[in-house]
Amino acid sequence: MAETTPIVEMRNIKKNFAAVRALRGVDLVLHQNEVLGLVGDNAAGKSTLMKVLSGACIPDEGEIFVDGKKANISDPLSARHLGIEMVYQDLALINHLDVAANVFLGRETMSSQLGVIGVMNQRHMEEETRRLLDRLKIDISSVRLDVERLSGGQRQAVAIARTTAFNAKVIIMDEPTAALSVAAISQVLDLVRELKAQGCSIIVISHRLEDIYQVSDRIIVLRHGHKVCDCPISGDIHEFRERVVAYIVGARDDFSQAAVD
Amino acid sequence: MSMTKVEKMVEDAPHARRKIPNLNSSALDRIITFGAVVVLFIFFSFTAPNFFTIRSVLSLALQTSAVTMMGIGVTFAIITGGIDLSIGSVVALSGTIAVMVARTGVPIWLSMIIGLLVGVVAGLLNALMITKLKLPPFIATLGMMMVARGVALTITNANAWPAPEGFGDLGNGTIFGTGQKFPGIPYPVIIMVAVALIFSFFLGKTRTGRYTYAVGSNEEAARLAGIKVNQVKIIVYILSGFLAALVGVILASRMVTSQPNSAISYEMNAIAAAVIGGSSLMGGVGTVLGTVIGSFIIGILTVGLTMSGANYFMQQIVIGLVLIASVTVDQLRNRK
Repeated sequence: MAETTPIVEMRNIKKNFAAVRALRGVDLVLHQNEVLGLVGDNAAGKSTLMKVLSGACIPDEGEIFVDGKKANISDPLSARHLGIEMVYQDLALINHLDVAANVFLGRETMSSQLGVIGVMNQRHMEEETRRLLDRLKIDISSVRLDVERLSGGQRQAVAIARTTAFNAKVIIMDEPTAALSVAAISQVLDLVRELKAQGCSIIVISHRLEDIYQVSDRIIVLRHGHKVCDCPISGDIHEFRERVVAYIVGARDDFSQAAVD
Repeated sequence: MSMTKVEKMVEDAPHARRKIPNLNSSALDRIITFGAVVVLFIFFSFTAPNFFTIRSVLSLALQTSAVTMMGIGVTFAIITGGIDLSIGSVVALSGTIAVMVARTGVPIWLSMIIGLLVGVVAGLLNALMITKLKLPPFIATLGMMMVARGVALTITNANAWPAPEGFGDLGNGTIFGTGQKFPGIPYPVIIMVAVALIFSFFLGKTRTGRYTYAVGSNEEAARLAGIKVNQVKIIVYILSGFLAALVGVILASRMVTSQPNSAISYEMNAIAAAVIGGSSLMGGVGTVLGTVIGSFIIGILTVGLTMSGANYFMQQIVIGLVLIASVTVDQLRNRK
């Protein structure tokens, strides 16, 4: 990796849930325009770590630097202001609203303000959504379709597109390819590549090592709240997979930084 | 943590469900419900000779105005996935308070505004029970339904007190009348049309309106998108209380008396109107126009059946069946 300031640096993040030590001092670096795969068994702490970064969860200890500056991320809104967006596993879409409404949810464009009542500029939002979908090469026939009528791949695409509509620098995707058909998975992976090509830095949480292998530059493995592997993607898929699984299940434990706690 | 388990998870990718895109389904729904109104009109024009006259259409609109406005209010609550059972009692309470205040010599306009504020306060209390005490809307508003009715009965001692002169203008006045030929449009009908237009705009075109749908469709997603969910709910229940109070003041004005026993079970008609108009009690679905149409279907059935000679019991049976049928049709349509 080139020696530039990382876009995100998390240092010694600790988080306990009552007696459960979810994160026991994890460091994470995300470089500019890098796709980072984050893997680990269930309860390894990957989702908690990303919730810390996206402001959905406050760590007990640790520091976060964004673009080299110390960041105080106290809620999802402050993360968003720093250009960090998270695509949630359960999609967090509003089924009964259309594509444009979902893309702009919580950030509607107003045409006028009647006192405290904001009147929306729907035309502008629909046009912007169309432009966004075209830019990301997402195939959805109309931005007025209710999200519940979309396929799984299209829904995931909308959820991801939504984060980029407001110039997110860092996009965190929690299991973006879970519960998708083969065709839909390749759509989503194409979208990740497209976002990278457009300059985003991305963290992908996934159980599907093939997907991580295909789109990522580097991989971090968490196990029991520790980082047990942090290395570039290399080798062929079989060798890669064997190595990563060994770290995930604890069969291999030779990462020097592992014992922080 | 065995190897096979990880591998299984890695391989696990169930196929996404596919749905055929169906544009404009809500527009189609509305055309169907509106068509039902037209069919009913034509039917009753034949069975009841005086049904299709200006006079009876105006009286139909006047009679329907109360349930329509209450229905519009409760539609907002239903869209958020909630319900407001207190509106019938709030109608009685705000109306009686307006009358009782006017009887003390307070100007009529001011006593009516106080009546409206009663509805706002009742709605706010509902909202606080739901958002702060985390009570289910059904329970919170059921409690308010009993309390508001009880207060209305207590302050009037269950009597119908006459209101001062001039109190009846709002409920009994008309506009654009030309004497014998055209009796004029009653004020309550004008108010109903205004309420329908304003709240249709509010629900469809404003940010708060959109958040109403978002909260009802996926509350957690709404919260993650930065929407202040509790604030939306508070607005919705205040709105519902306010519209109930508006109906209360109008009804009290029409009677020119305090009526602590008025509007009993009106909340059920209002909810039925919303549901016939396409609102879903699961939240996320509903429109003001749909509720207006639903309310008119109930109104036309009531008036039409009465004028055709059917008794009150028969009306109840028919309206109940229509309610069940309309939701059944919705369910069948959504299943495919």
